[in-house]
Amino acid sequence: MIELGRLAVCLALVCSLFAVAASIAGVGWRRADLVRSGENAAFACWALVALATGILLQALLARDFSVEYVASYSSSTLPTHYTVAALWGGQKGSLLFWAFMLTSFTAIVEWQNRQRNRDLMPYVTAVLMVVAAFFLGLVTFVTDPFERLARPAAEGADLNPLLQNYWMMIHPPSLYTGYVSASVPFAFAIAALATGRLGDRWIRTTRRWALFSWFFLSLGNLFGAMWAYEVLGWGGYWAWDPVENAAFMPWLVSTAYLHSVMIQEKKDMLRVWNMVLVLLTFALTIFGTFLTRSGVISSVHSFTQSGLGPFFIAFLLLVLLVSGGLIAYRLPELRTRGTIESFLSREAAFLFNNLILVGIAFAVFWGTVFPVISEWVRGVKITVGPPFFNRVNAPLGVALLFLMGVGPVIAWRRATARNLYRAFAGPVAAGLVAWLVLLLGGMPLGLAQATFALGVFVLGTVVQEFWRGMRARQTLLHERAPTALARVVGKNRRRYGGYVIHVGIVMMFVGIAASSAFRIEAQRTLKPGDVTAVGRYTLRYARIERAEDGHLSTLAAVLDVSTNGQPLTVLRPEKRFYKKPQQPTTEVANRSTLREDLYVVLGSYDEKTQLITILAYVNPLVVWIWIGGLVLTIGTAITVWPSAVERRAPLAAGALEAERA
Amino acid sequence: MTRFAVTLVLALLVAPLATPGAAEEPPTQSEIEEALTCQCGCGLTVHSCNHLQCPSGEPMKDEIRRRLALGESRETILAAFAAKYGEKVLSSPTMRGFNWLAWITPFAVLLVAGTVVVIVVRGRLRHAPAPAPAGTPAPMDPGARARLERALSELDPDA
Repeated sequence: MIELGRLAVCLALVCSLFAVAASIAGVGWRRADLVRSGENAAFACWALVALATGILLQALLARDFSVEYVASYSSSTLPTHYTVAALWGGQKGSLLFWAFMLTSFTAIVEWQNRQRNRDLMPYVTAVLMVVAAFFLGLVTFVTDPFERLARPAAEGADLNPLLQNYWMMIHPPSLYTGYVSASVPFAFAIAALATGRLGDRWIRTTRRWALFSWFFLSLGNLFGAMWAYEVLGWGGYWAWDPVENAAFMPWLVSTAYLHSVMIQEKKDMLRVWNMVLVLLTFALTIFGTFLTRSGVISSVHSFTQSGLGPFFIAFLLLVLLVSGGLIAYRLPELRTRGTIESFLSREAAFLFNNLILVGIAFAVFWGTVFPVISEWVRGVKITVGPPFFNRVNAPLGVALLFLMGVGPVIAWRRATARNLYRAFAGPVAAGLVAWLVLLLGGMPLGLAQATFALGVFVLGTVVQEFWRGMRARQTLLHERAPTALARVVGKNRRRYGGYVIHVGIVMMFVGIAASSAFRIEAQRTLKPGDVTAVGRYTLRYARIERAEDGHLSTLAAVLDVSTNGQPLTVLRPEKRFYKKPQQPTTEVANRSTLREDLYVVLGSYDEKTQLITILAYVNPLVVWIWIGGLVLTIGTAITVWPSAVERRAPLAAGALEAERA
Repeated sequence: MTRFAVTLVLALLVAPLATPGAAEEPPTQSEIEEALTCQCGCGLTVHSCNHLQCPSGEPMKDEIRRRLALGESRETILAAFAAKYGEKVLSSPTMRGFNWLAWITPFAVLLVAGTVVVIVVRGRLRHAPAPAPAGTPAPMDPGARARLERALSELDPDA
């Protein structure tokens, strides 16, 4: 069975290479049958990779320890859901999983475009299959997940205990989905460059794919933050680790693209810039994989390190060379007709928003690679850690928040004093009132205060937009308020979905600012019966509880929590001792409310003295970061939901797009 | 006016780079802990490392406490740690010599990019045709306006 998996991967590689050759030859010789043949090969490639992935999964579930991958990343006692997650828990499996997702997305793209974009599709197929061939080549020749051990192991080494967490089930797949689906807009961009069809058809075709990729990158980053918060037990959720940065950079550039693409659609501007952003997003996904796999920069994700770095860097260089070359070749045709008419315009606001987003991406990139540069130049190892990233990015983030309020409501072309007053009087007043309240409430001047006030300003612009949209329908069409609100959103999904996403982002900004600036932390050593105060909470150490099963043993400190003499809850921070890779881990106990989290970590327990040492944090407003993620999800759903026009006449819309190109 | 606005924005952006804690303020334990990287391999700062019996973080915290009690300045304490563990113990690059590049490059790049954008846009503004004079549109009857709104929202769902 395992040999069948290996054979399937080899055949998939052959299919991907055939798909590339047939697609290119089909265009060169004007042979539609060859182009179709290339597309069929892409479908076959997907089926073969799906078969191979299924076989590896089956080997994991059957605990076939004669397979090196199964023996390295699972064990006979590993729960079934983590055994499934072991598919992407190690490098070999994760590369196969990556290839599976990529070929699946390719198959969907081929299916969606069987009647559309026929001029672009040979190139799209070729690009996607080149990427697939790269990953399948690695899986076939360099890092084979189907490798058999000379002597089957009696027991597996088990999955890294830090990965035995439910976030392992959703964080990597979300991030991979975001990473891999960025290939689709990239492939269409290359196809547009190759064919010279540089209108906005490729943009309209990939609009949902770009948003899909961005959404899953958002979720992937957010789930990673939640995982770090719940599992690593240092009271924070973002450590600016190189691999976190690697996931954050494409998100930033993709966010810039989603904004600037609107300027191209409305004003036929920024064509080159949009091309660059799409290509950069894809290149950053490959760079991220390089960072994770190469070990060139030390990271907490070091369990995925390997010698694959040179392959990724070579592929990255190829991508940059081909993309850059094509853009340079098409530069005269990419020149845009539209122009910015005033700095006080939506176009200008979006341009500066792009500048800041890409600026933050560059700052993150620079900080991530600077240790390597320093070592090359000076021969001295240095660290670029959280204090650097926080200090450089915080002011840029605040500037971005300001533009988030300005961009969506300032007038197109040129804002007059009257436009500005109408758009901003209310939101600015709301922001100022919030600022005054915070000031009078005793909050010190600083970035946190600025974030809260600007957050209110942005929310003010969003509420005003919803209110005005609803009122307009009520006045013009005499609809009732809920109907008017539902219809104004329903008929302008992209715009109002975007506003909802902005609300989610504001919530995240507020949560991040509050939990960074106003955290309370305490380290306490307690004996049974001791009482200690942390912030407004009183913690009483009651006892130790133990539990054991075949897979792990746990030691939990039982803490009775009260406030103002009123019992609130019982927290049980744990230490877990895994049996296979005899490694202790920490299970955080967290009481989360809309106001704040009481987050407790059990540091140590002394058997003789019964003393425990705990780390306790009061993290204000952290839950709003996660709620912001939920709101962002709702906003994205509103944005991508097809409008009535699209549902009624997809073919007519396709014809219109073809005309526009 | 534009120059003033640009200068103000830049000053506000770069302001946080000023070294935290004015010279007359004595440094705090957590401030120094944040400025040092734990050497246990966790990748976090000494302050954030939650390995309570951490063989690296705990002695470092003790040493910071001792040095603060002796009244040593932030710079002296950090220099002592850098001499002992190498420059990699500092959680962010120093603001001198080659390391200045780490701090200044992101802002310099942003400044250059922003300046280029402003110059290009201003160049095009000069060549752009003057906007049509704003006039007062004739009032539209409510029925026609409603029909127009409906037709527009149907036509342009993503407006």
